Amino acid sequence: MSDWIKRFIPFASLIGLCLVIAVLEPRFLSSGNLASVARQTAVIMVMAMGMTMVMVSGGIDLSVGSMMALAGVTGAFALAGGAPTVVGIATCMAAGAVCGLLNGAAIATLKIPPFIVTLGAMGIYRGIALLVTDGKAVVGLPTKFGYLAEGNLFGILPVPLLIVMIVALAVHFVLSSTRLGRYCYAIGSNVEAARYAGVRVTRCQIIFYLILGTLAGLAGAIEAARLVTGQPTTGEGYELRVIAAVVIGGGSLSGGQGTVVGTIIGALIMGVLANGANLLGISSFTQQIVIGAVIVLAVTFDAYQRRRLETAGS
Amino acid sequence: MVDQMTNRGAALEMRGINKSFAGNTVLAGVNLSAGAGEVHALVGENGAGKSTLMKILAGVYQPDAGEILIDGQQVRFARPSDALRSGVAMIYQELSLAPDLTVAENIFLGREPLSFALLGVVNRREMNLRAGEMLKAHGFKIDPRASIKRLSAADRQLVEITRATVEAKRVLVMDEPTSSLTAHEVEDLFRLIRELKGRGLAIIYISHRLEELDFIADRLTVLRDGRAVYAGAWGEISRAEIIKHMAGRELKEIFPPRLATKGETRLSVTNLTRQGKFRDVNFAVAAGEVIGIAGLAGAGRTELVETIFGAYHADGGEIFLNGSPLHLAQPNLTVARGLGLLTEDRKRTGLCLNQPLATNLTLANLKTLMRGWRLDRKRETAAASEHIAKLHIRPSDPNKTVALMSGGNQQKVLLARWLFADSEVFLLDEPTRGVDVAARSEIYRAINRLAEAGAAVVMVSSDLPELLGMADRILVMRRGRLVAELTGRKTTQEEILRHAAVDESETTGSSFTFQVSS
Repeated sequence: MSDWIKRFIPFASLIGLCLVIAVLEPRFLSSGNLASVARQTAVIMVMAMGMTMVMVSGGIDLSVGSMMALAGVTGAFALAGGAPTVVGIATCMAAGAVCGLLNGAAIATLKIPPFIVTLGAMGIYRGIALLVTDGKAVVGLPTKFGYLAEGNLFGILPVPLLIVMIVALAVHFVLSSTRLGRYCYAIGSNVEAARYAGVRVTRCQIIFYLILGTLAGLAGAIEAARLVTGQPTTGEGYELRVIAAVVIGGGSLSGGQGTVVGTIIGALIMGVLANGANLLGISSFTQQIVIGAVIVLAVTFDAYQRRRLETAGS
Repeated sequence: MVDQMTNRGAALEMRGINKSFAGNTVLAGVNLSAGAGEVHALVGENGAGKSTLMKILAGVYQPDAGEILIDGQQVRFARPSDALRSGVAMIYQELSLAPDLTVAENIFLGREPLSFALLGVVNRREMNLRAGEMLKAHGFKIDPRASIKRLSAADRQLVEITRATVEAKRVLVMDEPTSSLTAHEVEDLFRLIRELKGRGLAIIYISHRLEELDFIADRLTVLRDGRAVYAGAWGEISRAEIIKHMAGRELKEIFPPRLATKGETRLSVTNLTRQGKFRDVNFAVAAGEVIGIAGLAGAGRTELVETIFGAYHADGGEIFLNGSPLHLAQPNLTVARGLGLLTEDRKRTGLCLNQPLATNLTLANLKTLMRGWRLDRKRETAAASEHIAKLHIRPSDPNKTVALMSGGNQQKVLLARWLFADSEVFLLDEPTRGVDVAARSEIYRAINRLAEAGAAVVMVSSDLPELLGMADRILVMRRGRLVAELTGRKTTQEEILRHAAVDESETTGSSFTFQVSS
């Protein structure tokens, strides 16, 4: 029953939130506005899918915003140099993958806590992005690259939303129906127990960070397409929004818990909150307070659940 | 036949205690009383309600009904500190020490001696001094300045006991205090218990080892399914009757017979060495054979099996599995080659506690459940259900979170993990620690079935009757070396202990008789 409540509470909060905003401001439900919520949250959601995997496995990655910026400028250089769109996107993802691989390798093989490794990586990747661009935006991207962020498939489905759906389905499949996904929960629940059961923990951990890096690269491509430039300063503070999406959606900071569906709801709660506040004319300062409070609430709930589990069965 | 005596001199009386969690009745009208200077043994299978009853006494839980009297005064414990204030202290089965603090800091946690009382400056010198005196008085050789995380499980238990004796003014609860202690340390503990009795403390002593209760218990209460099904003076009923009360049925064979034939050598180690842990260990196990490894805590038994399993690297020597050498052993490789390790510490290295039963059971052999890239959930549930039925795991729901299961059932899940992995060599490290009599018997039966099916079993155990009842051969380790090989059917507990003891002159016949079973 507690499982059921845990799944239901974020979902009910999202529906409730949408209802309240829709009553106060009917424009919220217009298709134009909903599409803009989708576009605004797409970048966060793509990274939150990878973060779900990393956090279920008991890790964390603070460098996602920086990876996204570095990947974005790398791809932008390629595009500005005349590379076709597909190659530009692939370059972004490859750059993100390299960053994620480095994070994962440092965490899994050197046994350094992920918080520390990725805190350092956050500065390093951001620094590299600023250094190679001299702090200036990379311009001269082909205009049709913007389709990745602003285009609509069949005239109605925003392309970023389509990307989110594909990524979400893929990560959901991995987490719920593959060996890697099962190992992810096992490692996050008890890394030593997983190792003693014959799980190749190091390799799995590297893969989780590698996937997150790749998705951060994809997010960087979407962001670069949205801005039609490669911005070395983009994505600052995104790590907190990404982590918050996972936590609000029921992911646990101590690992072993979390689902793709939960994370989507978590990201939507934050996206809807921000959008609704804008529509209602609430200042962005107040928004930060509200979102902060929501995160604390979600973590409190997680801690409460964990305590119940710990005191039971004795 | 619950004894209704109203003990006028009772230091502790619990009357009509009821408790339920989420609709499940865990305790129903339980009475328990203990006089000053009395050791009251509380026995029962896992899940009988012992721990819950004691957590109510310690103020961790509040009863739904019933009352608690200390020296005839009714008390109400809303939180653990209330119980401590009334002089009720508890030694938990799960160690509750702060690993980064020193021994002395743990003993005096919450009541540190102060130099400048107003400023709250801890008088470290006095604290260490007093802790040192206490440990010495109890006969424990532990440095008060040592950090807890550097101590062995046994030493931590002794520190915990020392801390509780400081806190306990009227009642001391000991929940399986000997589970990680050696025969020698148990001896020290029993001496300490007699001393505490002399001080007029009422002691509630929970144990699965009925043998040891002969040496200390004055009274006995048996819990079954949340009810006190028997209460009386110790010795009034036989051990067999106690077991009958615990299980609600007779257990004719705790150690069932085995019809296994010895086959080819499955596992052999030659000159295996790990610096500071064990040296030049040689032995072999054949298919159909169960060998036991005996020794005191710290003799290197756990380190040996963990090294064979590949959890740690050996510094020298070789390991052969089915005749071919294991190089650079790692759990993922050894598991793939048919080795399984039932770990000593199921919470640390065994279970993924917040995951479902099925996940824990199938973790070591998911590859057989794959259809291409996809994990076949239906087949997983079927496989889990099959093993749940085979080992009588309760609750039987494959989706049950293992943290919510009793210790005995958790242990069966881990054994089932290696059964499901089709292991050929089973390394079982303390397979029945903290497991009740009925579950033990089932585990023994499962081990026999394994041997009969041609598996090789290596069983590390501190429970000598268990080794004698199960092992074909018993290897004895002392300070990292194999010092004796005994035949299971012919040897005795005395002989094993004579080889296991670190200093032979320290061990006299009487010091370990408590472990001798009837």
